[in-house]
Amino acid sequence: MYDQRKIKDKLFFVFVLSVSIIAVTLMLHMIFVTLSNGIPVILRAGLGFFTSIPPTPLSKNIGGIAPALAGSFIMTLTSLPVSISLAFFSAVLTTEFPRNPLSIIIDVVAKSLASIPTIVVSMVIYLIVVVPMGKFSALAGVLALTIISLPYSYTYISTYLRSIPATYREAAYSIAMGRWRTIISVFVPIIRRGLLITVLMTSARILGETAAILFVTGRYRLGVSVSLLDPTDAVPLLIFDYMLTPYKNFQEISWAAASLLLLSYLIIFTTTKFLVKEVKL
Amino acid sequence: MAMGVSRKDKIFFLSLIPPSITLLGILVVTVITILSNSLESLSLYGLSLIASSIWDPENLKYGLLAPILGSITTSTLAILTALVFSIPLTILIAEYSSGFVKNVLSSIVELMGGIPTIVYAIWASTYFASLLKQYVMDPLHAYFSIIPLFSCKPITGFSIFTAGVSIGVSIVPYVTSMILEAYQNIPQALREACLGIGCTKYESVKVLMSLAKPAVLASLILGFARSLGETTIAVATVGNSMYLSSCIFSPGITVSALIASQFANAYLYKYAESVLYASALFILFIAIVLSFVGLSMLIKWRVKVVV
Repeated sequence: MYDQRKIKDKLFFVFVLSVSIIAVTLMLHMIFVTLSNGIPVILRAGLGFFTSIPPTPLSKNIGGIAPALAGSFIMTLTSLPVSISLAFFSAVLTTEFPRNPLSIIIDVVAKSLASIPTIVVSMVIYLIVVVPMGKFSALAGVLALTIISLPYSYTYISTYLRSIPATYREAAYSIAMGRWRTIISVFVPIIRRGLLITVLMTSARILGETAAILFVTGRYRLGVSVSLLDPTDAVPLLIFDYMLTPYKNFQEISWAAASLLLLSYLIIFTTTKFLVKEVKL
Repeated sequence: MAMGVSRKDKIFFLSLIPPSITLLGILVVTVITILSNSLESLSLYGLSLIASSIWDPENLKYGLLAPILGSITTSTLAILTALVFSIPLTILIAEYSSGFVKNVLSSIVELMGGIPTIVYAIWASTYFASLLKQYVMDPLHAYFSIIPLFSCKPITGFSIFTAGVSIGVSIVPYVTSMILEAYQNIPQALREACLGIGCTKYESVKVLMSLAKPAVLASLILGFARSLGETTIAVATVGNSMYLSSCIFSPGITVSALIASQFANAYLYKYAESVLYASALFILFIAIVLSFVGLSMLIKWRVKVVV
């Protein structure tokens, strides 16, 4: 009787371990093949990968992804501050007045925004921005990216704000600090690392988003566009378009772009891990 | 003084309203835009829109049955896949590992959760689809072809099944982190009580998992909502065919894959855009409802078990 239970216990461990190993192997396999397919292409293309435009389908040279890089960079940098500041004010509202009906509504709204499929956001922005403007634009992309990243940054910031012990608030009020003063000069410094993590993770989210900008940016690949009002490209869009083509050089470019995207995410993730460790010390 | 403070409080509160209202505005505009643009096709085609499966814009014939069933099937497969991997991962992290190993494992899960889905998509279409065909679909077809679900021979590896499992792999980190959080929130006293009467680890895990069941269910509901909207992985692996089949090894389509492939040219055809908005309305509605159900189940569970 005792033995049977012990065997069951052992078998259970073997099961848990082997399924987990499969899961982790799949995940690491993905990282490995992306980097091993992409990085050699980048090395072969050299600096041109960052400065040239994509090749024509059957051409011999690899070309580059400059339009997509510029587009991703500009859209991320424009959308990030909008997303973070809207999320910050909303998070302050819901944490400072947790019982106010408006706060409860905003908290629910933020959660529903997170559940909107990102491709739906793209269809909406197409109708209310692209159609009236008469053309695709980086601006439309910025708006779509802001919408999909808002619930994300909101969750981060409100979690950090809620983790501040009430004693800090009481201390600030007891020396007659106003509520805004308390937030700016007491709370923000306390959660400054958390805010930095929010900024990093939100930018990773924005950089990697595909579906939300599918119908709004225009995929302009003939040159680098720096204007917000003109069509542009983005790295995930380029990967998406090129990976499904039959052309070998397009697929190579697509792997190279994917490995670049993955590398930047890995760097961002490692930085946030480092920041978290610092907080614990 | 008291008056002054409360007036200042009011100004503080009012200053926060405009940015917060923006969030509400975005949600309202999204729902209204999708709703109003799908009305035309909904009133024109009515129920036949979801009762037939056809995409023939030149003859103005539309039926969304295949993508709707495709979305539901892939999402179901996705949460089953997520369940198979997430429970063992949770148990391994929470019960069998500690210190450095635990840190590494939970970091891997966290890391994978943030990887852009486009990377999952390119990996799944190039490698995972053929792996699945060789080691899962072909054997299942060989031995269980009597079951209608497995009755057709997998040809390319791109199928409803592949899309479902690939999306499932991509939501494993999301589902695992929710189940893990719930599991670790179960009061320590319950585990100790079980160990105190001589439970083996397996038996104590069984007891704790049964307590966490509602939270697991809620995580799966939230995972389903997320899978419904998944676009890039679906487009890359589902095979994009409007043909309706009872076999999950045949190529199919999902709502988001249909939108991704047809929306850009939809303005050329009458009603095509409106039909696509109607299909978007379908996934939008289900996703919002399910995330409410899932989130409130999680909150209810936490109040009951944790506190």
